[in-house]
Amino acid sequence: MSDEAEIPTNQIGKSHRKVDAMERMRGITRYTDDIKLPGMLHAKIKRSPHPHARIVSIDASKALAHPGVHGVITGKDLATPYGIIPWTPDETALAVEKALHVGDGVACVAAVDEDTAIEALDLIEVEYDVLEPLYDPETSLERRDNQINPYARTGNLSKKVLLEFGDVDDVLDKSDIVIEADYFFEGTTHAAIEPHCAVAHVEPNGLLTVWSATQVSHYLHRELAKVLAVPANRIRVIQPPLGGAFGGKSEPFDLEFCVAKLALMTRRPVKLLYTREEVFYSHRGRHPMKMKYRTGFNKDGKITGVDATTFLDGGAYSSFGLVTTYYSGQLLCAPYGFDAYRFHSRRAYTNKPACGPKRGHGSVQPRFALECQIDKAAETLGLDPIQMRLRNDIGSNAVTVNEFRVGSNGFSECLRRVQDSSDWSRKRQDLPYGRGVGVAGSTYISGTNYPIYPNDMPQAAVQITLDRSGRARVFSGANDIGQGSNTMLAVITGNELGLPLDDIRVLSADTDLCPVDLGAYSSRITLMVGNACVEAAAKLRRLVTEAVGKRWEVSRKRVTLADGMAIDREDPERNVPLADAFQWAEADNGLLGATGSYNTPKDRHGEYRGGTIGASPAYSFTAHVAEVEVDPLTGVVDVKTIWVAHDCGRALSRKIVEGQMEGSAYMGFAEAIMEQHIVDPDHNGVHPGPSLLDYRIPTFLDTPDLEAIIVESPDAQGPYGAKEAGEGPLHPSIPAIANAIYDAVGVRMDALPFTPPRVLAALQARAERERAGELSPHKPDTDGARRIA
Amino acid sequence: MPGTSRPSACDAILLRTTINGDAVQLAVEPHHTLLEVLRYQLDLIGSKQGCDKGDCGACTVQVDGRPQLACLTLAAHVEGREVTTVEGLGLSHGGCHPLQDAMDRHDAAQCGFCTPGVLMSAESLLRRRKAPVDRQEVREALAGNLCRCTGYTKILDAVVDASEVMHGDNDEGGSTAGEAAR
Amino acid sequence: MLRLPRFGVQSPETLDDAVTALAQPGARIVAGGTDILPNLKHRLDQPPMLVSLARVTSLREVKEEDGALRIGAGVTLTDIAEHARVQALFPSLAYAASIVASPLIRNMGTLGGNVNLDTRCRYVNQTHFWRSAIGGCLKSEGDVCHVVPKGRICVAAMSSDLVPVLSSLDASIVNVGPEGRREMPLLDYYGADGTKHTKRLDAEVTSEVRIPIPSGATRARYAKWTVRDSIDFPLVSVALRFSLASDSVHAEVTDIAVVAGVLGSKPRKLTRLEDAIGRKLSDPTVAHTVAERAYAQCKPLENVPYEAPYRRQMIRVHTQRAIEAIIDAG
Repeated sequence: MSDEAEIPTNQIGKSHRKVDAMERMRGITRYTDDIKLPGMLHAKIKRSPHPHARIVSIDASKALAHPGVHGVITGKDLATPYGIIPWTPDETALAVEKALHVGDGVACVAAVDEDTAIEALDLIEVEYDVLEPLYDPETSLERRDNQINPYARTGNLSKKVLLEFGDVDDVLDKSDIVIEADYFFEGTTHAAIEPHCAVAHVEPNGLLTVWSATQVSHYLHRELAKVLAVPANRIRVIQPPLGGAFGGKSEPFDLEFCVAKLALMTRRPVKLLYTREEVFYSHRGRHPMKMKYRTGFNKDGKITGVDATTFLDGGAYSSFGLVTTYYSGQLLCAPYGFDAYRFHSRRAYTNKPACGPKRGHGSVQPRFALECQIDKAAETLGLDPIQMRLRNDIGSNAVTVNEFRVGSNGFSECLRRVQDSSDWSRKRQDLPYGRGVGVAGSTYISGTNYPIYPNDMPQAAVQITLDRSGRARVFSGANDIGQGSNTMLAVITGNELGLPLDDIRVLSADTDLCPVDLGAYSSRITLMVGNACVEAAAKLRRLVTEAVGKRWEVSRKRVTLADGMAIDREDPERNVPLADAFQWAEADNGLLGATGSYNTPKDRHGEYRGGTIGASPAYSFTAHVAEVEVDPLTGVVDVKTIWVAHDCGRALSRKIVEGQMEGSAYMGFAEAIMEQHIVDPDHNGVHPGPSLLDYRIPTFLDTPDLEAIIVESPDAQGPYGAKEAGEGPLHPSIPAIANAIYDAVGVRMDALPFTPPRVLAALQARAERERAGELSPHKPDTDGARRIA
Repeated sequence: MPGTSRPSACDAILLRTTINGDAVQLAVEPHHTLLEVLRYQLDLIGSKQGCDKGDCGACTVQVDGRPQLACLTLAAHVEGREVTTVEGLGLSHGGCHPLQDAMDRHDAAQCGFCTPGVLMSAESLLRRRKAPVDRQEVREALAGNLCRCTGYTKILDAVVDASEVMHGDNDEGGSTAGEAAR
Repeated sequence: MLRLPRFGVQSPETLDDAVTALAQPGARIVAGGTDILPNLKHRLDQPPMLVSLARVTSLREVKEEDGALRIGAGVTLTDIAEHARVQALFPSLAYAASIVASPLIRNMGTLGGNVNLDTRCRYVNQTHFWRSAIGGCLKSEGDVCHVVPKGRICVAAMSSDLVPVLSSLDASIVNVGPEGRREMPLLDYYGADGTKHTKRLDAEVTSEVRIPIPSGATRARYAKWTVRDSIDFPLVSVALRFSLASDSVHAEVTDIAVVAGVLGSKPRKLTRLEDAIGRKLSDPTVAHTVAERAYAQCKPLENVPYEAPYRRQMIRVHTQRAIEAIIDAG
């Protein structure tokens, strides 16, 4: 943190124009597909039409002979297996031995243009030996005779985690009530509007440059070196401005290796742009999870223990699956405190596009289950669901049942704010049949204490230089994926140095120019890179204030940097422009540059196998209230408003934080109501609609009003107290909507998504039970929508 | 399945059109869309390719003032017509259209990939309405433009704000959100 | 990106020249492009030549003539929705045009394109690669139907929003070809084979749709269900038109036309609605009777997304609600 007693407040907590938005708005920002190099070839990948097949032979001779074709590669040309998690390298850039899902890549062509490359794909002859596909994770685990992934260690088991804290069975036995239910979370995908794209270029000296729409340029750099067998110092990775990611670009993909290899072979630049269909095959989206939950409660509403059994449908490759499997249990132990917890999670390989991290990695699914469990208990116990959650808040400076140390915690304030803003108490009482409100809460990590590959180097680093004209340059490896991390760095630098944001140039995510950063995942950047930036900027502030103090013959502590000037605190009439101050400091010190590094605390987790996974320097907290209208005759759920209160520690830039909260709530809403990333087992495992027409994401007309309410509970670990805001606020949308549906019409939606046919079927089932006298009518005294006959 | 020989009918054709106010003549392949010609031949990269086939709106441009999908417009179809892309939006506003300014103030662009298309639809709405608009009108006018980042909220704020800046009674009064810090 | 196959383009300026150009073997029409271009990107066809109607200005007129409103085939859906006479005479048509797909599609898509919209199916409107994974089907590269497993006739869905409405308004369609001009009732224009679901000859151009202006009082409405409120094709679609003895919803119904879409390859006009004729439109038994007939006669298939049994139930609900909404509007 800052070395001054007084922390500067030049920029923190204001709203800012983003440093790079105007050029995007003017259409001049170059995204990856906007890169055009002389002599550039265009590549296309040939993909398997079979969900599970052994590759008997590939004959590319006709394709190679096709006019305009410059190169063809197959799996054998890139045969080294890789994986984002170093312990599970189980995929290759192109299939070597087997194709594992419809759309798995088997060969790649580079040609003078896309049309020619497409023509050549059809000339590649692939002979397949078609194998039996497996689509259901539990079936797949039983079928040890049919191992899908050739690199897997144990049949089709990708990862198993069984952890127990306290004596769960005993605690549940002694609880006043135990709620038991099965939940199903359907797979969903990121659907960033920009399709993946990569460009590679080789200089005459052999230096390879890869531009890629990635959110992990450092890991891509490492994996390229490994798979291409080219030393890392001969490779430069640049992430151009990115058109959305959400976790969908957070590991290496086939196209990056293919363009690199083809550029090395042909010595010409090569570009590969996915079609939208290919984006769906690359996937790495939300894992479908089947979850069985047993949750104990006492009469006062206190949660006593949680017992969770989860099957994760992983698809064909591991991706981040090792971590996902841990996260499916490890991230559930706040905001509520309880005494005993067991989770048993198994991730299975299936013949589907691989699942991975989507916004709220691994914890959105179990959060849905737990928050519905709490709602059911509240009903059984006759408690208000918000009061019940307040009662279970683990509080600040607490230790969770799985031994994570929580710092600041604004969860209770989040609950109170959504309660007030939504007019909760009146609506719970007064809304008629067909209308309802529901609540849910959650927590999320601000980065993880341990990096993906073990090392003792910093997790984040920033370098800043100042120049004589009064400008600052910030160099950072952090990937701005649209979340605004470049602006965050400018805000911090401007805050420390008193510079307007226009005088700060942020250069990011270029492995030749910038210090290493691990990437945009796990909501790590604001906390980690932000801390590193504060350190670097504060060092420079000290040099500048010292130089000014020396000229004015006062203590440097009397000098403050604000509004583009160095100012004498005690005599504000005495001031100089920062350009002059920087020149003085450069005269005293030589070129002005400073670095800052950040490493995580290593004492905030339990000492058990897996205890480090999911442990974070700081945790954010969120509460949502959703208001819905359910049409009892069609089953259509109309989400009217979601109130989103999120404890981000400290909002460094308010509108950006609000935008993250709104975007998160939108994405959760979409998963709740309409999105499904599935394959059709009755039609050879095809994705039923790999397009933005059939994979429906909500339009302007479908999206509810989203009310973002920032809650600030500063955390000692975060820069100026800041925690994450980009993923946490997604979690509660889904259970809040499920709970609101129950409030509206009395049906529990335990399987996603809440499509009209499913909601209608649930309503019809309830009506059947009402007719049989097993249930009394829901909200019988209200004048609501017409009930189902 | 694709044929490898080209029928002579597929030879390039001469296209004469107006793009962002400038008369343009160029040879285009008949099967190329307006989006390809803009992006890859003219290097007007502001119009984006998101879905391949009219499902997302990232490629929205205006043809004779009406927003339409450049990915489903044959280049040959704009012969003799006026095409406006996001690069042309600020030309008559000193480089920055009030909509762009409002979107910037409201942080309505996150990744910015849908933004050019959103702007082209929004500009058409404000030009046709010539009055402050409400959120529902904006939702309807932009219903063909998907955004995956923002939940649409800040875009709605910005377009309503811009309509007040452009068409409100008080010339100064539109910017209710206050100036963002620089 | 997903690319178009190579083809040539001709852009005639008159209808006659367009018809002449279409006589070339394999030539296809492109107007707004919002239907054919995705289909070509999906390689459902690979024509050597596209004949563009973009410059045939004569197709863009709307005229009242001989007791009918004649809307040129080149009029865009936006222009139909916003046209004052269409709104006044045929509000259900203006409304249906105003909710087709998205504003961007409506600015491009034309009336001619919409009434000739190719049939759609979850197993057809996919890329060539995708279809290769299931071996194609009757409408693409194969010889099976994935919707009706032993079916020999393609049942891809008629997915136009305007066709049910225009049919309920007794519209006729005018096609111009080498043999001249022919006009036929729109309902007769469609057939049960989804691979060739209209009677349009390859060399014919649809020039206009003619809607008779009713002499007496009517009430009409269009209802559809889609998952999203924009972009989507209809999944349930029904158009209703009631002729009334006088200009009141409490007047007697003298004639009824109810036409549903998104079933098989042609619109379905309900029959056996006589029970409702002679009653007051506001009589609740009218709505009930028509809705029950709709449920009994309309059998959606698994050719478009969302379960067919659900969609069948929704035909009843939306039919009933549409009539109730007419009554509420007075």
